Amino acid sequence: MAATSVAPPLARKRRPPRQHGAQRRANAAVYAVAVLLIIVMLAPVAYIIIGGFRTNAEITTDPSGFPRVWQVGNYVDVLTGGVFWQQVLNSTIAAVTTTVAVVALGLMVSFAIARYNFRGRGALYALYAAGLMFPMTVAITPLYIMVRSIGLMNKLGGVILPQIAFALPVTVIILVPFLRAIPTELQEAAAIDGCSRLGFFWRMVLPLSLPGVITVGILAFIGSWNSYLLPLFILNDDAAYTLPLGVQAFASRYSVDTARVLAFTSLAMLPALAFFSLFERRIVGGLTGAVKG
Amino acid sequence: MTSISESSRPANGSRVDLPAGGGDTSVSSPPRRRRRGLGWAERLEIVALTGPATIVFLAFVMFPVAMAAYYGFFRWEGYGVPTDFIGFQNYITIIKDPIFHDALKHNAFIVVMSLVLQGPAALLLALLMNRKMRGQSVIRVLIFVPYVISEVVVGTGWSLMLQSAGAVNDALEKIGLGFLANEWLSDPDIAIWTLMLIITWKYIGFAVIIFLAGLQGIPQEIYEAAQIDGASYWQIQRRITLPLLGPTIRIWAFLSMIGSLQLFDLVYIIWGQYIASTAGTSTMATYMVSYGRNAGSFGYGNAVAVVLFLISLVCALTYQRFVLRRDTEGAVTGGAR
Amino acid sequence: MRIRKALAAASAALLLTAGLAACGGDDGNGGSTGGNGGGEGEEKEPVTMTFWHNATTGPGKAFWEDTVAAFQEEYPHVTIDIQSIQNEELDGKLQTALNAGDAPDIFMQRGGGKMAAMVRAGQLMDITDLISDETKELIPEGSFAANSLGGKVYAMPVAVLPGGIWYSKDLFAQAGIDETPTTIDELNDAVAKLKDAGIQPIALGAKDAWPAAHWYYFFALRACSPETLEAAGQEMNFDDPCWVEAAENLKAFADTEPFNEGFLTTSAQQGAGSSAGLLANHQAAMELMGAWNPGVIASLTPDEQPLPDLDWFPFPEVPGGEGEPGSILGGVDGYSCSAQAPREECGAFLNFIARTEVQENYYRAFSAPTVNVESQKIIEEPYLQSVLEAYNAAPYVSQWLDTVYGQNVGNALNVAVVDMLAGKRDAAGIVEAVKDAAARG
Repeated sequence: MAATSVAPPLARKRRPPRQHGAQRRANAAVYAVAVLLIIVMLAPVAYIIIGGFRTNAEITTDPSGFPRVWQVGNYVDVLTGGVFWQQVLNSTIAAVTTTVAVVALGLMVSFAIARYNFRGRGALYALYAAGLMFPMTVAITPLYIMVRSIGLMNKLGGVILPQIAFALPVTVIILVPFLRAIPTELQEAAAIDGCSRLGFFWRMVLPLSLPGVITVGILAFIGSWNSYLLPLFILNDDAAYTLPLGVQAFASRYSVDTARVLAFTSLAMLPALAFFSLFERRIVGGLTGAVKG
Repeated sequence: MTSISESSRPANGSRVDLPAGGGDTSVSSPPRRRRRGLGWAERLEIVALTGPATIVFLAFVMFPVAMAAYYGFFRWEGYGVPTDFIGFQNYITIIKDPIFHDALKHNAFIVVMSLVLQGPAALLLALLMNRKMRGQSVIRVLIFVPYVISEVVVGTGWSLMLQSAGAVNDALEKIGLGFLANEWLSDPDIAIWTLMLIITWKYIGFAVIIFLAGLQGIPQEIYEAAQIDGASYWQIQRRITLPLLGPTIRIWAFLSMIGSLQLFDLVYIIWGQYIASTAGTSTMATYMVSYGRNAGSFGYGNAVAVVLFLISLVCALTYQRFVLRRDTEGAVTGGAR
Repeated sequence: MRIRKALAAASAALLLTAGLAACGGDDGNGGSTGGNGGGEGEEKEPVTMTFWHNATTGPGKAFWEDTVAAFQEEYPHVTIDIQSIQNEELDGKLQTALNAGDAPDIFMQRGGGKMAAMVRAGQLMDITDLISDETKELIPEGSFAANSLGGKVYAMPVAVLPGGIWYSKDLFAQAGIDETPTTIDELNDAVAKLKDAGIQPIALGAKDAWPAAHWYYFFALRACSPETLEAAGQEMNFDDPCWVEAAENLKAFADTEPFNEGFLTTSAQQGAGSSAGLLANHQAAMELMGAWNPGVIASLTPDEQPLPDLDWFPFPEVPGGEGEPGSILGGVDGYSCSAQAPREECGAFLNFIARTEVQENYYRAFSAPTVNVESQKIIEEPYLQSVLEAYNAAPYVSQWLDTVYGQNVGNALNVAVVDMLAGKRDAAGIVEAVKDAAARG
């Protein structure tokens, strides 16, 4: 890398507009592609949202058109019916609990693996890494049997505990490098100042590894919010449904009323989208950080 | 197992070594209270820190997987405890079942096509967007939106749009491309391509973001040096960007492959529990749920789960061994010369 | 040293969980409280029961709400929680609930092999002694047969729902079809005429698999002797060549392309795009379906009223088979009590829904024939009368084959038929699939 900076002064002169690499100015073609891309990405989403504003007759006769009159009724019905909010509540409880627990437990384990030196450290890390190989689909049936034996069927707890467990591998794998990257000099300095290892954890490690923690928290939250297979097996009662289950149940129960199904579906999208737009920079930044190492 | 631990971290030249085999690396200990073993208090700390997570993990991940292997040896309708031991019979049935072969073929198709469709496209898009432009962050947010939405919502929305008399066919007619209108979901020859379309739509944003992040890790000086040497744009991309992006691409490909092998939600929502196989879009996971739980054959379902796991494991290990190995040799010098 | 401690802790956790798992998933909690249902005195302990049925729309749903309300009036100490579950989801949810020992107290029962599995697992209450004499006078013994096993009755039958072809008289007239087909050749002619008139001949809800399978069941009914059918149900033996013959007949029929476009992803009852919806909106002329169809179609017409030009004819005869002409397939919908339900109250409810007034209301809500012979007298619709006639005159009645064979084999059979219709399997493949399923089970 150092070699390039010793280039002869001649080459230092800024070259005329034709530039390569990342500094290239975006021209009209690029903008066009970007716009096209956005249209393609968002068209289905737009369809769902706009569909909720139409009547069923309109949808049948003119599937891809715009509403003649913007019917607010469907959205109002869904928002004022208790079902939607009950499911939002369930999803929120599950997601928040999962996230908090995953972050807490994951941090603890990653801290131990990253900064303590003990014999089983490699094995422990490998254990969590191996967990990546076990998708929920593999464990779902015995998990269902276990959850029902410990009496957590139809309860959010039966969904939360497995979700925590399954989110741990990714968490540990992301956090360990973050935690490891904190220089030992810092730790030594803290020790000299009389700070115990755990105090070091609270006061220095946590703030320094915040980007990683946030990334991990966001991934855990989105994973829990969108999860379908686990709730499908565990939650049998309508009252306990989370949002993805609710969307599917609503769609099949009110299949005659396509417009209302679309309204429900688009409202179900909103929390995830809102969450994402709030934390967008963090998510992308976190992924960037994780990729760069 | 150590090979997994080394390469499943999202690497791009990160120099941090991992405790493969338990060796000590970066955590050098301060001189005081250092003896070969660990202090009493320290051990307690370690147990306290690792205990809760590990117990939850073992109880809800490892133990069920072990139980899946156990139940797979029984014929069981799901009531009470399994009592009808049949040894490897379930596994033999799985291996011989043509419906399972179909599901496996579909999974393989999805794995390959995901890489083929998303990889180059995402690369080009990332290159395109990796430049100063107005609204760059807005664009990045918007292409990531499909990834954030749950597969259930995606499946419900798309299946309404793709009906015979649905929005897609209708829009095609309106713009004069009516001859392209099709039975997107019902035609067994087309359905899997429709599935690929939806998968690509959902996950390409993720690939672009990851590649963008990787691109931003490439130092400017390299480009400038190449410019000086008179390389053209495409030469630069081929000789410099691509190899430097290598580790990123390989990690993304790994995640994509594992995700494709485990695909369930989208297929189950759109095609339901009965006809995914007929429509040519079944996956091993939908097979497991249809012929296991939904058929009341819980022993069989568990055996399928174990087979699914083994196949994922083999793919992952093979990939580690032959592809990700390079990444541990250093990101700049190793690799595609 | 440390790791051993961690491992010990983990093993303890594992053993604990294993111990809990091994204790069996049987919490026996049927959702009822204060199960002191034996009291004969005036002061009865309050009893709550849960009730699952599959009528999610319109008059059917209202019927159950009204009936439960009336029952609660007569038995004030009983409260019933109703859950209406989409038909396609019912089996799965019920299965999960039964497995978990968390079953509803009263639930819809399809009978046959599905019921047999529940009986084997000890999940159903034997109601033989709970059936009141009054009920026995109103419901013929034959109707109880579908819900009995080993001489014991496990469900109260409510509606008899034989299958046949529902059609639109207007569309037939449009295509110039004067008489309803009585043989398979005449059906082929009708299909051809409809196609010439630009009308989709037959609506098929193959996405749910069983509507497609019904076609196969009827061809099997025509090709196989009653003894063969019975034997297959008992022993899961499908070696008789009549099974393949039936498949070949179906294939020949399907090769004339009589079904609606995109039938593979057409559902049976959900939405205007379902097969029932196609019939309701005059976008298809015929549908092979059980006698619940008029009610379903009524909920899918634009004005949500019964279809005025709806009519019915029995499945045509297929020459060369060993089946008895006039045989018919008919499911009997019934309701079971779970083994953990409060005995007296649940029995009371089952007898309640067998009463004539309730059955008459059932008929009015669902437009379907009921088992109560008194309530059958008020049936007005000519097509329902034809259905009952055909049913009563049939020399042999079988239940839907997937119900007979149970969930595992039944599902596989249904899917195999869809495969064949979609061109993925040949005729012999159906029998192979059934045998494979028996191996998986």
